[in-house]
Amino acid sequence: MILAAVFLLSLSSLALEVLLTRVFSISQWNHLSFMVISIALFGFAAAGTFLNIIDTQKKDWEKRLSSSGPVKIFIILYTVTAIGSFMVLNRIPLDYFRLPLEPVQIFYLLTAYLLLTLPFFFAGLVISLAYAFIPEKSGFVYFASMAGSACGAIIPFPFLPFLGEGRSIILAALIPLIIVPFEKPTTNKKHALTKNISRGKRFAFQVTCLFIVLMTGLLVSVEDGLEPKVKPSPYKDLSRFLQFPDTRIFETVTGLRGRFDSVHSPYTRFAPGLSLKFKDILPEQWVIYKDGDTPFFIYKQQLQKDEWFSKFTLPYAGYMLVPNPEHILLIQDGGGSGIPCAMASGACNITVVEQKPKIAHIVRNHYNIPVVNQNPRAFMAQSDKHYDIIHIENWGGSLPGSDALTQGYLFTTASFSEYLNHLTENGILIMARKLLLPPADSIRLWAGAYESLRSLEFENPERHIAVLRNWSTFTLIVSVRPFNDMTGLKDFARDMNFDLVYIPGITKEMVNRFNIFDAPYHFFEISRLAEAYRSGTEEAYFETYPLDVAPQSDSRPFPGRFLKWNRLKALYKITGSRFYSLFMSGEIVVCVVFLEALVIAVFLLMIPVFTIKKQDKKPNISLLLYFLAVGAGFMFLELFFIKKYIFIFGDPVISLTVVLTGILVFSGFGGCCSQRIGPGGLRYVLIALIAVLIFIFLGLDPMIHRILELSKILQYTLATLLLILPSFLVGLPFPLGMRFLLNRPAHRAYAWTANGCASVLTSIISAQIAISLGIPIIILCAAAAYLVALLMSNTKTIGQK
Amino acid sequence: MKKILLPFFILTFLPAQLMAQPLVDSPKYQKARGKMVSLQIRLRGVSDKKVLNAMSQVPRHRFVPKELLSQAYADHPLPIGQGQTISQPYIVALMTEKLKLIGNERILEIGTGSGYQAAILAKVAKEVYTIEIKEKLYKKAESLLRSLGFSKIKTRHGDGYFGWPEAAPFDCIMITASIDHIPPPLLKQLKDGGRLILPLGNPFSYQHLSLVTKYDDEYTVKQITGVLFVPMTGHALDQNPRVTNDIP
Repeated sequence: MILAAVFLLSLSSLALEVLLTRVFSISQWNHLSFMVISIALFGFAAAGTFLNIIDTQKKDWEKRLSSSGPVKIFIILYTVTAIGSFMVLNRIPLDYFRLPLEPVQIFYLLTAYLLLTLPFFFAGLVISLAYAFIPEKSGFVYFASMAGSACGAIIPFPFLPFLGEGRSIILAALIPLIIVPFEKPTTNKKHALTKNISRGKRFAFQVTCLFIVLMTGLLVSVEDGLEPKVKPSPYKDLSRFLQFPDTRIFETVTGLRGRFDSVHSPYTRFAPGLSLKFKDILPEQWVIYKDGDTPFFIYKQQLQKDEWFSKFTLPYAGYMLVPNPEHILLIQDGGGSGIPCAMASGACNITVVEQKPKIAHIVRNHYNIPVVNQNPRAFMAQSDKHYDIIHIENWGGSLPGSDALTQGYLFTTASFSEYLNHLTENGILIMARKLLLPPADSIRLWAGAYESLRSLEFENPERHIAVLRNWSTFTLIVSVRPFNDMTGLKDFARDMNFDLVYIPGITKEMVNRFNIFDAPYHFFEISRLAEAYRSGTEEAYFETYPLDVAPQSDSRPFPGRFLKWNRLKALYKITGSRFYSLFMSGEIVVCVVFLEALVIAVFLLMIPVFTIKKQDKKPNISLLLYFLAVGAGFMFLELFFIKKYIFIFGDPVISLTVVLTGILVFSGFGGCCSQRIGPGGLRYVLIALIAVLIFIFLGLDPMIHRILELSKILQYTLATLLLILPSFLVGLPFPLGMRFLLNRPAHRAYAWTANGCASVLTSIISAQIAISLGIPIIILCAAAAYLVALLMSNTKTIGQK
Repeated sequence: MKKILLPFFILTFLPAQLMAQPLVDSPKYQKARGKMVSLQIRLRGVSDKKVLNAMSQVPRHRFVPKELLSQAYADHPLPIGQGQTISQPYIVALMTEKLKLIGNERILEIGTGSGYQAAILAKVAKEVYTIEIKEKLYKKAESLLRSLGFSKIKTRHGDGYFGWPEAAPFDCIMITASIDHIPPPLLKQLKDGGRLILPLGNPFSYQHLSLVTKYDDEYTVKQITGVLFVPMTGHALDQNPRVTNDIP
């Protein structure tokens, strides 16, 4: 019974976690999702602390609480709190945007923390009871937990498109109730202290389950008010747009990759970088929003003339340099204004690469042009075609700072090299982005282009780069041939009232003429940077610049990240000493959440130390460190692969699903096989694990690049196969530790707490490690964690069986 | 005598209290407004007397939701519901000042919102036309402006993208909604020499204002830097020492 409960609760709680992430991504921004769910997961750890406190009050609690009756009660409580917390949360007006401004939002946030912690608490209670009660079967408990979680990672996939987020959460919460009505007579001597559930109690459980299911069914079928539909924050783009008259959503498609709302409105007008010289009316458009934000615009091209507006946009400066292009490649990541540009150029062949299947489908059908639904880097790795123009369109997030944690490979130096390698000998690369002040993105992209040209051994790389801007956007143009004659570009800029920022031979008199800043900041900074590269002092430039503008690599692919921690004070002052403006930054949020998590972790770990009176019963430091290290190591490994595989699959959700499923399944098998390993085997397991992790650090990259060139099926297959060995090995230390390093149920519960705390802290800190130091460092951290575990497992202070 | 006075007191005082506007311009708000003008606006370099007077006179607290009354004169924007915000006082003052109004202008505002900006403009310019596309906001703002006696302001519910052709041309146009391009119809309704101003950026983070000036068929767009948004480069810090003397 308890193993079945462990399996189902693990399945349900992971599905709940995945779905809650979706809910918060739609209703709020990812910042809040990160905040709330990270803290809620402490519910697992809190269960272990709770059992430690019980241990001070009751004897044989593990036998009593792990019997059928109490376990069923915990399952029911899990289901009720999971559904209840979601329904309540869906109604309280917690809004990330107002968090720093309205004191009542703190109360809502604390309520969210508490409510969401409850279901994870009850799930954690059953799992830690299983470890406490049947330590000799720790491997099987581990397998049940991991296998259940693996199933939970996949289950939302088929249900989400049909049920939506709210109903999927409710269904996931109901799953563990399956076993409650049934009672298997137990002959287990361990439960000698407890009797089988009486017929009356069994009936009560069955009725309770039926009641919960019926009530839930009633809730979700009611038309108004109680329907668990997730609505975006009123401050999200979609919500604000829907307030326009005659604006309506005509289609909503939801899945694990996002919720896509297609909106018709007579007020859709998207034309970033449009010249003030354009006098006409824009073509009709409609828009698709992803999770209430990140719009993609579709232009209704009725007449040839409709494309003409594109010729008045800033990115068209690049098209103008290639008269009569034959082949154009468009890599779209939001926006949509690149397509009319490409069509206005008159090119015979236009290929669009779009990662999101829904948008790829719409673009293909609407424009009747070839659309490749693939990760752009994989497309480039698999293609040997050459293009006259490659145009990258990406406008970033609507909330400044929200992109800081977003991993993306469109703008790394390696990506620049790929683009350049796929251009014809007269080819042009165009990148269109929002203009930032202080200059940040423009500097980074210029540097990325320069370093890529240099690595490909272009002479005088700066002669191949041009940058233009208007008042809110800029366009970077990179040419295979050096820019010798800039007349065309200068005329275009002058005629359209755009400003040059950088062209070979540019002078101060040529800049800041039409879109006037107090000073030509972008020109100054890029000129300084160009000089720094010429003199070989570019590192010093990046070091002294107030923001992090160094070009991104595939190891550190965070194009939206500009914060420098050692300049935080200056940044705070510059934004008017406004705390809330800092709160928009994803990195600041990570830091705040980490501090919150640290306080909670210390609290949960210290309680047993202070409540347990007898010294020999207190958990010792070696035990604590071992299980902290094992928990951290597991999470570091998991997050490393999730981040690494985003490179292959291009989508964090796909990566998460593949990695989670793979690691959980194979580590579950590892846990199962741990039953065959004796006490002396733990050391060798840890040594082997550390060796494998170091090998991954040194050797995974070439394998990943090779996988990128293969077909999708092979990508999925090989990516999964690569997980087998490390996952199998990481599945061993925890159950082995439970079996051989501990001899008291309370200690096992405490180990569960330590493991849970480490998992949460690690998942938060990994985000910062990736941004600051690079993704490969995460696997080194995993190796270091298991080294600590190895050292702790050798100490004699941990009780031996 | 006391017995007579008591019912008299009850009959006069209580109804008066019940009927009194909960948001009268009490000395408390006047003081807060004065402080706002001194510390947040004048000290940051806004010196146009007409603008400063307007900011001192218009009761900002009347334009914010009741639950945020305590923050009505705070140095930041405020959410006013339905995905809208009322701009930070300094931004309102700065935008008004940058239009260089002398009192005889006809101004078009796109995005009435709470109505606060329109009220400020009405104190400084000759005529104000303001358009709001969201009906609820339009009705609320129109009612409030009328109740406050702003007869110079003409309000309309409609699509501001196309301006107000019947009243065009305008000396100045102010766009308060976020956009990614300047609507061509608005540029057509701007007089020669006219100015168009719009804020760019996130309302709760940084913003930079852009002032578009029309000369014949040519346009210049000037970025106006404010306290919130001064470039951080060493070069800019040298040139803008006021950044380091930011107001708390």
